[in-house]
Amino acid sequence: MDQVGSLLDRPKLYYNIDGVGELGCGFMMQGFGMLTWLQAHSPKDAVWHQMYAVVIYVLVVLSIIHYGTKAIKNRITFSRTGFVEYRKKDALRVGIVAAFVSPLAAVGLVVAQRRHWDVTAWVALFGLLFAASYAYGIARAVRWKWVVVWAMTAASLAIAFLPASWFGALAADSWVTHPVRTKLVGAYLLSFLIYGAMLLISGGISFWLYLRHTQAPAQDGQ
Amino acid sequence: MNQQTRTIADLDRMIHEPGRLMIVALLFAVDKSDFLYLQHETGMNKGTLSSHISRLEEAGYVEVVKTYRGKVPQTLLHLTGAGRKAFEQYRRKLKEAL
Repeated sequence: MDQVGSLLDRPKLYYNIDGVGELGCGFMMQGFGMLTWLQAHSPKDAVWHQMYAVVIYVLVVLSIIHYGTKAIKNRITFSRTGFVEYRKKDALRVGIVAAFVSPLAAVGLVVAQRRHWDVTAWVALFGLLFAASYAYGIARAVRWKWVVVWAMTAASLAIAFLPASWFGALAADSWVTHPVRTKLVGAYLLSFLIYGAMLLISGGISFWLYLRHTQAPAQDGQ
Repeated sequence: MNQQTRTIADLDRMIHEPGRLMIVALLFAVDKSDFLYLQHETGMNKGTLSSHISRLEEAGYVEVVKTYRGKVPQTLLHLTGAGRKAFEQYRRKLKEAL
């Protein structure tokens, strides 16, 4: 039965066979981290503090991910290892889970802020959860990706022990720091940049290996 | 014949064959896929895979659509409602039997 179960999981794991899933996620994290960085390190009247600029920036990042992924899948992956169309029910399920988890995380942050908890512990917990979901979603299919899991875990723990003044310097004047404490924004900014970089490197290596080890079969009709 | 043996005997033989079980399980998890994907995931050669797919198509478990991706011919496959039901039933029976 376990073998049948693993067969049922194969299509989900196939999505990242070319590393594109990681590249997309890494690009998104780097993009959002970079935006917060720009807001924190630019003058108050800079374009990065305008809401329209933020909306345009987010749309550009999401469009690059959407169309970039589509282009790579259409031009490279589908012709080498095949085409898969995922069930819409699965995407809906992910959306529903995200819709429940996001407000819970937001409530958790508000509570942590009001009670003056040490927020770096929250950020470290977020990092550990992220590493665990990466291990389940990606690393169990590709053995060398466990290096990334351990690197994420180590980074999460390191963030928990960094001095608070570092985070403050990272997100000093971000507009996000008006409602939320500087330390929290700085810690999340650092996490996004670190995890984003790790995913981009890991995805890049997977993509390179995929190109190197797979070839499109000769076309004599399928 | 005890209950467990009877359950094993009742397993759908169309799905129980290892090659076809792989195909049906892979198709169960997606909306549709092409022939190349199944070939890549199962490791079967074209002839063997075609033969299994033909049998599944005859049983009404799989629907095959020949189309084109650009100028390249593409064979798309998806599990029919009967195929999904048969696979769910097969899994249930297998769980009972083990």
